[in-house]
Amino acid sequence: MKHLLTRITLAVGLAAPLLQAQADDQVERGEYLTRAADCMACHTAPGGAPFAGGLAIESPFGIIYGTNITQSKEHGIGLYTDDEFFAALTEGKRRDGANLYPAMPYTSYHLMPREDSDAIHAYLKTVAPIERDAPETSLSFPFNVRLGLTAWNLMYADDLQLKPAEDKSEAWQRGQYMVEVMGHCGECHTPRSATGAMEVDKHLSGGLLNGYLSPSLLADDLANRGWNHQDLSTFLKHGMSSQGTMFNEMYPVFHNSTQFLDDKDLAAMATYLLGDTPPAAKVVETRTLDDLNDSAKRGHQQYLNVCAGCHAPEGEGKPHIAVAMRGNTTVRLDDPRNLLRVIEDGIDEQQFSGFERMQPMPGFADKLDQTQLTDLLNYLRQRWGGQTGELAVSDVQKLQADKSDTHSKAD
Amino acid sequence: MAKHPLQMTINGKPVDAVDIPDDLPMIDYLHEYNNLTGSRLGCGQGICHACVVIVDNPDGTSEEVRTCITGAHYFAGKKIRTIEGHAKRDEQGVVTELNPIQLRFVDEFAFQCSYCAPGFVNAATVLVEKLQRQPVAKSQLEQVIEDSLGHHICRCTGYVRYYSATRNVLSDLGLVKEG
Ligand code: FES
Ligand code: FES
Repeated sequence: MKHLLTRITLAVGLAAPLLQAQADDQVERGEYLTRAADCMACHTAPGGAPFAGGLAIESPFGIIYGTNITQSKEHGIGLYTDDEFFAALTEGKRRDGANLYPAMPYTSYHLMPREDSDAIHAYLKTVAPIERDAPETSLSFPFNVRLGLTAWNLMYADDLQLKPAEDKSEAWQRGQYMVEVMGHCGECHTPRSATGAMEVDKHLSGGLLNGYLSPSLLADDLANRGWNHQDLSTFLKHGMSSQGTMFNEMYPVFHNSTQFLDDKDLAAMATYLLGDTPPAAKVVETRTLDDLNDSAKRGHQQYLNVCAGCHAPEGEGKPHIAVAMRGNTTVRLDDPRNLLRVIEDGIDEQQFSGFERMQPMPGFADKLDQTQLTDLLNYLRQRWGGQTGELAVSDVQKLQADKSDTHSKAD
Repeated sequence: MAKHPLQMTINGKPVDAVDIPDDLPMIDYLHEYNNLTGSRLGCGQGICHACVVIVDNPDGTSEEVRTCITGAHYFAGKKIRTIEGHAKRDEQGVVTELNPIQLRFVDEFAFQCSYCAPGFVNAATVLVEKLQRQPVAKSQLEQVIEDSLGHHICRCTGYVRYYSATRNVLSDLGLVKEG
């Protein structure tokens, strides 16, 4: 009898609603985690209501639309229980049992503990319902067959596992969770196979997304591009550091996610990425003009013609206008893809915290021909990027032709 | 800074090639080497567009280029027009007749201090030339004007008068078709 009573008490205890204070805490924590997991990025269309879906995510298999995750019972997740929400987050299972497309990073979230999922759900329950359906995703065959994803999931869904952490600091362990699970950084910064699965053996070694490289986040590669612990956490917090600003796909990540993370978590992320004993950040000296090869020398004049007005003649940049080229992480990438793309496409005006601004950068795709672009790339890379090799015009042509995106995040 | 000879055509006249510093911004080249001081240095950061000149491309199109953030040597061998090149002048170089855009801007009080005016005149000129190649339907007119002048900043008068004067000049020139 006593046994039974205990059981009943326990059951009642478990089902009892959280005290108000606990519930408030849970919602607050959930809001923080929602930002850390950057749900907003895919579930909010540009200029649209928060979490109402509609963002078009390009993938090699077609366009996938972020879904409405507001409390709308008809269009959103208003009917989801905590269990169902957890299954969606960690297994990619919709309430009706259908598979979600793995643009939803359950391949990373599957390592999320139940309490964090519940907190995120608790927070999302406080978001006003938006009674609007996000556009229907329609992919080409065979990717339009959601059932087929069952097999895909069996093969890949839980490929990503946390690394053993016994001998690691507490910060490293927290950082691993924030980077790998919450931030799901690997989803973009890891190459993908033809089936769209992350190649876990090359985890964080860099991927391709919408024509741009998502650079390697491996400690040695980061250090080679001049990153140290302080700069990396500053970059996440403020969207900028002496290595440059967050642009392209990272720009919304800053706005929706990393700027809201507390200093301890940001430092933990930097600790995880660079390791408890970080490699020394490589310093690159500016090379003299005489030291450059012919193409780069010609590129110097291109630079003075169309870049120096904002980035300054000696590459030191101008505050609130344009970043420095000296020490710039994109200039220092071995792969010239991003440098070329950014010169061709330009960057829209950027806003950062504390009224910080960067002015729009025009694109030069129709201003500079392939030889001029090649010369300019050689100049930037050799002068400030620590590169000694020379790109040929054919390298630029190849990159221009390769708009392929086969390793896109949205598959 | 090293210097190199620079040659270009400004307002229809070839300019003698003299040695110009490799990093000289175009606006300084116009002001200091050619005594063409009508192009205005506003922000100096590529935003206000007070400093634009017109580049005449070999294919017959024309475009605006900001001279504050573009080096003089970018214009090597190019044909450009500045604000000084629009009006008719006598042999002494005295202005005898404004062009239709300038006239409309004056008549309609489009500007006040005029700091931005050279940029607006050049932008409207590029627009006129674009529509001369392909006239615009009336229903599109306001959007086309917005798209063509929208990046120019004026701190005095607002934009309504510039835009309506431009709309009127485009009609005067027969560049707006029904539809
Ligand atoms: S002065 Fe050139 S854009 Fe403002
Ligand atoms: S009239 Fe003064 S800035 Fe435009």
